[in-house]
Amino acid sequence: MITPSRFFLFSTLLLVFLALTSLSFGAVSLSFLDVINGFFEDSEHYFTIHEYRLPRTLLAIVVGAMMALSGALVQGVIRNPLASPDVLGVSHGAGLAAVLYMTFLPDASTNWLPEVALVGGLLAAIVLWLLCGTSSSAIKLAITGVAMAALYGSAIDFVLLVKPLEVNNALLWLTGSLWGRGWPQLTSLLPWLLLIPLGLGLAKHLNLIDLGDDSAVCLGTKPNIIRLISLATAVGLTASCVAICGPIGFLGLIAPHLTRRLIGGRHQVLLPATLFVGALLLVIADLVARTINPPIELPAGLMTAIIGAPYFLWLLFSLR
Amino acid sequence: MQYLKQSYTAQCTLLCSLLLVLAWVSLFAWSAVPVTPTDALMALINMDDDKISHHIVWDIRVPRLLTGILVGASLATAGAIMQALTQNPLASPSVLGVKAGAALGMATVSTITPWLGLFSTSAAAMVGGGVAWLLVMLLGSAWKGGGEHGRLVLAGVAISALCAALTKAMVILAEDQASAVMAWLAGSLAGASWDVFYTLLPVTIISLFFAVLISPILNLFQLGEDNAQNLGVSLLWTKLGSSVLVLLLVGGSLAAVGSMGFIGLLIPHIARMLSGYDHRKFMPIAMLLGACLIIASDIISRSIIFPIETPAGALLALFGAPFFIYLVRKRTL
Repeated sequence: MITPSRFFLFSTLLLVFLALTSLSFGAVSLSFLDVINGFFEDSEHYFTIHEYRLPRTLLAIVVGAMMALSGALVQGVIRNPLASPDVLGVSHGAGLAAVLYMTFLPDASTNWLPEVALVGGLLAAIVLWLLCGTSSSAIKLAITGVAMAALYGSAIDFVLLVKPLEVNNALLWLTGSLWGRGWPQLTSLLPWLLLIPLGLGLAKHLNLIDLGDDSAVCLGTKPNIIRLISLATAVGLTASCVAICGPIGFLGLIAPHLTRRLIGGRHQVLLPATLFVGALLLVIADLVARTINPPIELPAGLMTAIIGAPYFLWLLFSLR
Repeated sequence: MQYLKQSYTAQCTLLCSLLLVLAWVSLFAWSAVPVTPTDALMALINMDDDKISHHIVWDIRVPRLLTGILVGASLATAGAIMQALTQNPLASPSVLGVKAGAALGMATVSTITPWLGLFSTSAAAMVGGGVAWLLVMLLGSAWKGGGEHGRLVLAGVAISALCAALTKAMVILAEDQASAVMAWLAGSLAGASWDVFYTLLPVTIISLFFAVLISPILNLFQLGEDNAQNLGVSLLWTKLGSSVLVLLLVGGSLAAVGSMGFIGLLIPHIARMLSGYDHRKFMPIAMLLGACLIIASDIISRSIIFPIETPAGALLALFGAPFFIYLVRKRTL
């Protein structure tokens, strides 16, 4: 455990350092000086830095933060250490909706993708709730969620195989990758950033819910409404990220856990801190995925899965 | 209907005839060059070298059909053995990570040393699947008590996710082999040929034979491990032997046609509904059912966007997941 002020100072410095590192490495390695110069239009690296690497790094930070917050909200509400938007199938539900939209309405504008993905994510959450109700054990909920995710995943594969002509559009983001994302994607994500303060504002109520429903009601909170708002916020955060980058596995699961181990479970600190951890994780994952064998790129989602799946096993192992 | 439930012979006869009909349909249905139903039979009985349709049937369709039958029987048997060993209704090669591990092994070998043939890739599949299976079993044996079944499944899912991510990474990094491996990962009978069939045949037949031989021991396992031990079953040797059988069956079929999901989960349950819990009876039924299912899904997968083929594995995955959810809801985990 470290104190919050130290944590925020340290993680901010680390994030800035990693962001600069991520700007300077890639198919062409640049020095830090070149990176700084690259922000200005007269530099020869202006295109590489400003048009290509800068938006991508910013996107990694934003998406990582949003996914992590979404995971922390879900874990806070369901009080289930195995829960996260991707384990519960929300990410893949959102992905399926987006794939259906792109394959069957190829002429429609891609600007609506986040909204379509949101509908899919909400539907997936509702289906899971109908299947499991409120009183399921942690493991049963996780199994059902994983199975739903597998179902959506195979449906996505199936649609892509049956409609091979529109496959390029869909494949571009399905792998959970930041490849080829730029300023347009970043701007379309901007309105959804409003969900972050909304999620952070729920911190006090989530703490009270942790005390049990009876105490929470006595202390002036409406547990069910708070749960509904938190889950809807979490789904919104996930769906908007999925619409941009595709399902990035395990990020929403591991970031909150890692944060909890670092600074404890008080939501007022946990929720903002998890933003940083998520951003750090995704920036690192994208950096590694990009530089492991340039110019070939691995999807960042693969890197998070390679780290996240063993962590999930460990969680299972330690769950009593 | 009542008679069918009671008479084992009737069940076997019915399934055999169903398999024959499906096999016949699969020989002529949905062919880019028209093949008539009579052609399909004539090619088997009296091959006419001048007719294209006879060549299509004999050189493409028949090996595809026979490979499908072997693969379906193998996967169903592997699933049945795994469910008996772990005493877990949700166990199957795809759920417990064996399939993903085998795929990782195969992808490793075929991207790093692509010149090696089918034999070495199936060996790699067995090693990869074996490592995943060992990992899941070790984790599973560490959990005794409540919630054990569910944990085993989640552990398998996590190992599958890890192996799948590593496989994809390997495929992307080794660009020149990528398309071949991707096509194989989707799981389709389209690549089956006489060569594939003859490579697969000996291992599969021997493993299936042994699977029937060990079914009395698997029956004892259903009483619980302690009781089985009291009745004179050697736990270590049974687990080891049947794990090797599972790996041979899964590895061989994976190397031949790629990933075919959910047969191993689905078929043992249907077979148990038909013939009860006696493994001696239900192993053969499971084999027949597995073969029927894979042939049926192969026919359907050819018909969806004719003349392009949809991989049968994708189709099976689509129908398997709801069944899995049904099982999770039915059982108290």
